[in-house]
Amino acid sequence: MKKILIVEDDRSVQKLLEIACKENGFEFVSSETKKGAMMLFLSHNPDLILVDLGLPDGDGKEFIAQLREISKVPIVVVTARHDESEIVASLDSGADDYITKPFSVNELLARLRANLRRERLDEKIDETIVCGALEMHLVSRDIFLDAIPLKLTPIEYELLKYFILHANKTLTHKQILKEVWGVGYQNEMQYLRTYVNTLRKKIEICSTRPRYIKTESGIGYRFCCNQENE
Amino acid sequence: MGSKVKRLREYFFSFRYLWNSLGILAAISVVSHVFRDSLDIINIALIHIIPVVIVSMHGETKATVLITLLSVICLNFLYIPPLYSFSVSNELYLWSFAIFGVVGFIITLQSRNLHAQKRQNILRESLLHIISHDLRTPLATIHGSINLILTHEHLEKEKVESLLEDIDYASLRMKRLITNLFDATRVSGEEIDLKHEWCDFEDIVGVALEEFSKKQNEFIALHVDTISLYWGDNMMLTRLVVNLVDNALKYSTPNTTIDFSIREERERVVIKIFNYSDYVEGIKMQNIFDKFYRLEDVNDISGSGIGLAMCKNIVTLHGGTIGARAHKGGIEIEVGLPIIKKVGLV
Repeated sequence: MKKILIVEDDRSVQKLLEIACKENGFEFVSSETKKGAMMLFLSHNPDLILVDLGLPDGDGKEFIAQLREISKVPIVVVTARHDESEIVASLDSGADDYITKPFSVNELLARLRANLRRERLDEKIDETIVCGALEMHLVSRDIFLDAIPLKLTPIEYELLKYFILHANKTLTHKQILKEVWGVGYQNEMQYLRTYVNTLRKKIEICSTRPRYIKTESGIGYRFCCNQENE
Repeated sequence: MGSKVKRLREYFFSFRYLWNSLGILAAISVVSHVFRDSLDIINIALIHIIPVVIVSMHGETKATVLITLLSVICLNFLYIPPLYSFSVSNELYLWSFAIFGVVGFIITLQSRNLHAQKRQNILRESLLHIISHDLRTPLATIHGSINLILTHEHLEKEKVESLLEDIDYASLRMKRLITNLFDATRVSGEEIDLKHEWCDFEDIVGVALEEFSKKQNEFIALHVDTISLYWGDNMMLTRLVVNLVDNALKYSTPNTTIDFSIREERERVVIKIFNYSDYVEGIKMQNIFDKFYRLEDVNDISGSGIGLAMCKNIVTLHGGTIGARAHKGGIEIEVGLPIIKKVGLV
């Protein structure tokens, strides 16, 4: 059974998260403070952490940064702040994903499952990755869509590879530009927009209703693998 | 005919403060001319500063300059020796004239700040209005339904389920409204800065359509051309598309398709959205972009009336045009956004 650490200071939201976890077969431990959460993390070794950004004893971002120094555990940020820059900052400081209040239980579970699944993906980086109808051979650099070879330009290939290796995780514009294009390209949004557009045309059935490369408005992109949650 | 007279009157009244200060200046001239012997030149000069103070309280630089000049000219012509001429005997008087300008300038600046604050207040008031008005309705549903469930233990299961569905729907409405309000505060001031970045309209349409249910999406026919990246505010343009689609869905005849198209013309991007409507007759096309304008007889359609007003704000901020017309038994809204910058990819 997967164990989830809930760090949330609002009592009713905490209760909601706890019931949602319990009813869907997750174990949980919860804390209302940063300090308590760190203690619980060290003693319980959870599989995933749900953390609210506004905590009574300090900013959630600091907690994320501290955790990242010692662990690669998936972190999902829960936030009421409808502010993209806050979300981007927490993703850049090491969180894997986010969900904004108010959220439905279905959305929450989809996020939890996707991030737990990603953790499994990390453990075994194979030479071949399958994602929906996409198949990518990392050594030969071949890509197949519905078993048909796909022709990609070198940048499109690198972009798709980065997406697939970080599937089901919210990637900020900066992260993608830095990893695919290199340091110094973090603000060259036009490259990212253009290549996401052409890549979508090649892998999506309908590029205005994408199923793989989802846009997180004002934040970045998320590559969806295993679309059973739709 | 009547509207023309009305417009002229409105135009006249919009400059009322100017007429007021001209009148005061004239009155002051008369008064100081009559009592010129008992008033010293210094008092007369001080009296002449009154119209400058009054006009500059309106924060219009041009009006302030005009009245200051007139006031100085009056003073110079009528009271500064040599009398009844524009020449000045003592150069020290030139300093007095300069002080008129300084006073006008300082007060104009101050009142500008005040005006900006006032506009903010008006905005805040209209937002409060929306909040009290439109958030209360879904909240009433939620509050009432939950109370009902909590106090009646033996409700039939179906009834409880339908109440829960209502709660779910009402909370979604509140969520959408809050997002709208949040963005509305960003676009309602004219001087707000857009966050310009390169936008992909296909992406924007994709994000916008995700806000609608699968069933609603089935009624939307898309014709989106591949167009080059557009230099604009991504969030705002998303809001624009969401509000246009939301509006079309709200007022379209049930079970008819909505046509949505984006294409690139020479120097602009053109967005068109068409829906069949039963209400075409009663619509005043030029009014539909006003805040709180809603169709009569359609009180059952949920909405705050800020949707299209926000569209207009967003389009105006991008320097574009928006218009609506009755067309083939429905309404077509056309948005034109000027292309101000073209992307250069290496």
